[in-house]
Amino acid sequence: MVVKNYKKNYEKDINMIEESTLSNRKSNKGKIAQLLPYLVLIIVIALIPLFTHSSYYLHILILTLIYIIVSVSFRFIAISGQFPLAHIVFMGIGGYTSGVLAIQLKWSPWLTMPLGALLAMAIGILIGFPFARLRALYYALVSFFFGVGMIQVITAFGRYTGGIGGLVGIPGIPGLISTNKVPYYYFILGVTIVCLLILYRFEHSRIGTNLKAIDQSHLVASSIGINEARYRVLALAIGCFFAGLAGAIYAHYNYVISPASFQMSQTLWIVMYVLIGGLGSFAGPIVGTIVLFLVPEFYSSLRTVVPFISAALMLAVVFLIPDGIVSLPGLLKLRLEAIRKRKREL
Amino acid sequence: MLFEINKLSKHFSGLVAVDQLSMFVNEGEIMGLIGPNGAGKSTVFNLITGVLQPTEGTVKYNGKDITGKGPHIIAELGIGRTFQMNPLFPDFTVLENVVASFQCRPKSSLFDIFFNTTTYRHNEASILKQSIEILQLVGLYKVKDELAKNQPHGYQKMLGMARALAVKPKLLLLDEPLSGMNPEEIEFAMTAIRKTRDQGVTIILVEHNMRVLELCDRVVVISFGKKIAEGLPQEVRDNEEVIRAYFGGHGSA
Repeated sequence: MVVKNYKKNYEKDINMIEESTLSNRKSNKGKIAQLLPYLVLIIVIALIPLFTHSSYYLHILILTLIYIIVSVSFRFIAISGQFPLAHIVFMGIGGYTSGVLAIQLKWSPWLTMPLGALLAMAIGILIGFPFARLRALYYALVSFFFGVGMIQVITAFGRYTGGIGGLVGIPGIPGLISTNKVPYYYFILGVTIVCLLILYRFEHSRIGTNLKAIDQSHLVASSIGINEARYRVLALAIGCFFAGLAGAIYAHYNYVISPASFQMSQTLWIVMYVLIGGLGSFAGPIVGTIVLFLVPEFYSSLRTVVPFISAALMLAVVFLIPDGIVSLPGLLKLRLEAIRKRKREL
Repeated sequence: MLFEINKLSKHFSGLVAVDQLSMFVNEGEIMGLIGPNGAGKSTVFNLITGVLQPTEGTVKYNGKDITGKGPHIIAELGIGRTFQMNPLFPDFTVLENVVASFQCRPKSSLFDIFFNTTTYRHNEASILKQSIEILQLVGLYKVKDELAKNQPHGYQKMLGMARALAVKPKLLLLDEPLSGMNPEEIEFAMTAIRKTRDQGVTIILVEHNMRVLELCDRVVVISFGKKIAEGLPQEVRDNEEVIRAYFGGHGSA
């Protein structure tokens, strides 16, 4: 009887697959219903400037969006099992490239920003090949010192980069300059949404599957024909591109960047956002950035204690919610169900 | 001759793990590579599949020299393998494990994946269908949506084989496919191996369990990295040197 059932399900599955390949339209209705909460969320976020004229609040929100791009792109690399502790430096590479080009050659930021992202990606690819042989602690250490070195390089070219004092006088993005930050806010919100959509699609395609497969067992992954080095470099390239883009936008938004903005400790904060938010889920780094960056910025009295709170949160995550804050609702639901069940039994 | 290795050796800084090993496999055969623990059987597999680089010797497949090629290239050429330990992706479901293992046939280019072209969607749909068919073949369809790491050992082994079949191999290397299985699972696995061969897949299997002899057309026995016997299962079973290698002593057992 049981066997018969399996067989029935099996045939049903096969039929379903055949149908869904024939017409993709059928499932569209369900998809829209699924997307609805996200659309509402985006509209709410887009309406914020109507309610506040405080440029300080907008400034914090813009920085949060930029850091969301950086932390989500960091997680994209991390799903392949690589933890590059130099991620913030790629943001710096993007920012400095775009800024220097715009100042020295007077090119439009609309052109220099993609170039900054592309250079960050190119450097990511270059270091990707030697890095593809490293694992775990060795990877972390080598990438960390690569980052430290890169900052030194940027500082050393002081004639162009302004050295320790930083690069000043970076032009704003034409068309967005205004007395308030609203145009920038919408532009960066749009870029963030597009970046997240692209990264989400990559993760839920075969690329993401292969990266996760490599993370779980590189031996098995290569035995089925996954070119491990190629995919690890690909992950790094994509992640660095978006970090570079975020950095370039930051440079033209802030008009000033300095090596201090891309300190190595900043990288560790990005790692914190990802781990506390939840490494296993796409929403993890977004939630992590909001909890650890946005919230403390709003309550400025909190700022000095943030490192302690973060450390405590980290411990809490390790012991209580290993899948990060995003898994909390699911965990609570399970708990509640268990309690209800016990009550019913009584 | 589908596959041949010639005077293959592997030294680990002084230790000789595989010593001048030569053997061949004909198309459609099930060949057994047996030997006591630590004889170097798994090392031979790792040398064939490019996980390890041989110190000397050559590996030929379909008439081509494939010595020292990387593991993913070996897979693309049509040599699938299973592993003795950790044969799967623990955090994927059973179905995802098999779906992820379709890398070469059909193969989507990065361009197709990036832009979600019809080719890519078509490939993925056909992969999903074939994965379900493979799971049906190895009897894991009923647990397809459960996490691989939560499966009992026997299921994990079968899943390892399902994964290797997704490579659509011409030559399949099975590393101790029966170890840790209970008698019923062994029967099931042996049937599945025979069925696979009947579909035209050539198989080399490594075992230290002599039970596996009944599956094989031909057997090579190695001990301390050296070939000590070769022939039909019956001949090998009665070979004095083989008995000595397995039971120690002076062959009077």
